[in-house]
Amino acid sequence: MKPASAPVRTGDDSVRTSVAPESDEVLMARFCEGQAPAFDALFQRHSRQVRGYLTRLTGSASTAEDLVQLTFMSLVRSRGRFQVGSRFKPWLYAIATNAARDSQRRGRRTEELTAEGELPTGIADESPAPRDVGLERAVRQALDMLPEGQRIPILLHRFEGMGFAEIADTLGLTESAVKVRAHRGYERLRELLATLRTETLE
Amino acid sequence: MTPECSRVMDCLGEALPPELTKHVASCEDCQVVTGGFDLLGGPSHATASTLPTASASSEDDEQTLPGHDTARRFALETLAKQPMARPWWHGLALLVGVHAAMVGVGLTLLSRRGGWVGNASPPGLVVGVGVVILALLGAGAFVALSPRRRVVPWAGVLAFAGALGVTVVLTGSGQQGRALLAGVLGCAGTELAVTVVPLAVTLALLSRSAYHPARALAAGLSAGSVSLLVLHVHCPDGTAAHLLWGHVVPWLGLAGIAVLLRSLLPTRSYAP
Repeated sequence: MKPASAPVRTGDDSVRTSVAPESDEVLMARFCEGQAPAFDALFQRHSRQVRGYLTRLTGSASTAEDLVQLTFMSLVRSRGRFQVGSRFKPWLYAIATNAARDSQRRGRRTEELTAEGELPTGIADESPAPRDVGLERAVRQALDMLPEGQRIPILLHRFEGMGFAEIADTLGLTESAVKVRAHRGYERLRELLATLRTETLE
Repeated sequence: MTPECSRVMDCLGEALPPELTKHVASCEDCQVVTGGFDLLGGPSHATASTLPTASASSEDDEQTLPGHDTARRFALETLAKQPMARPWWHGLALLVGVHAAMVGVGLTLLSRRGGWVGNASPPGLVVGVGVVILALLGAGAFVALSPRRRVVPWAGVLAFAGALGVTVVLTGSGQQGRALLAGVLGCAGTELAVTVVPLAVTLALLSRSAYHPARALAAGLSAGSVSLLVLHVHCPDGTAAHLLWGHVVPWLGLAGIAVLLRSLLPTRSYAP
């Protein structure tokens, strides 16, 4: 699984929650009771972020598109597995992560990054110009070099704005285990980026 | 990682309080982490205003979410078929029911040749080991299907299986029945036949959630426990060699087959 171009962690979910009239958990409870509009609300609230996460995780926009559908279809099929009292977002991202892992395991990759580490042409780039393409490529390559156990916590933390408790929930790990993985990942990233940037300058 | 380092990680992306700023200045580990975190912000100029939020208009969302129609249609079709969500434990109840029924069917069919209980060990031992097998049967099914525990420890599953295998071999009556090879083949065949239905139901239920090898192994051990229990009660051959090669090894083999088959089967849902 490879990373792709990335938006940035804002660490600010308050905007979303203050505007949203109902929490994700309430909407999920309604959906479990058979209310389709609750599903619409959940889809519109999360699908773009999930697509961004899956694009970064798989390195392929079209694979991510397919996986978003699989993720939400899984949500529909398995709504009975959602535990009352648990948080919705980690559960949704756990589904998305599992879908991406399965796709990778079965070798279902329809589109890859180019040899230069960029998305193939023809895929809409959602981040506004201007961009530092060289640095962006270096970041993608560096993220790609991380083992999955470090890369997923970093993607969820840095780019999806999730806290370590939520990431722990998503991955089924303890919070301290996630922190250790993220710590090692950030440490390794800094080393890799320093090397890659030096190589680029040379 | 000190408690301060942990707090620094919690605050990444936010303004650090003065005491943590002071800590970062003196802690090489934290400098590395904050440096790595900040470097990742470099390539993108996206800001909070460019990230999608719940406040985005539905019209905008409809235009930018190509998968929405498919997912919505699927949701509506699913809701039409089954408006209320079915709790996960329905699957567990079904599986345990199938396991119990197959224990009954297996013992009934085998009892036509020499009674229900053929194990010549002391009755207390027969019952005790039977209870341990039943415990694995229930625990394995629960571990395999419950959404509560996301990560199933390999060590725990393997340790339980190993302990049960050793228990079965060491608590045999020692009584020799048929020749070793004939006995082993007979019991292994019976084990396979009795496990087919529990294994099929197990695999069908496992495909309703994400694939986890340790879960699949627990499920396979549970399904195989059905035949292990039937043989434990019925089989009169109690030598350690027969119990090892005719009962325990096929049971472990069936669990391995369950993992292999689950990894090959399509996944209907990726929910944990």
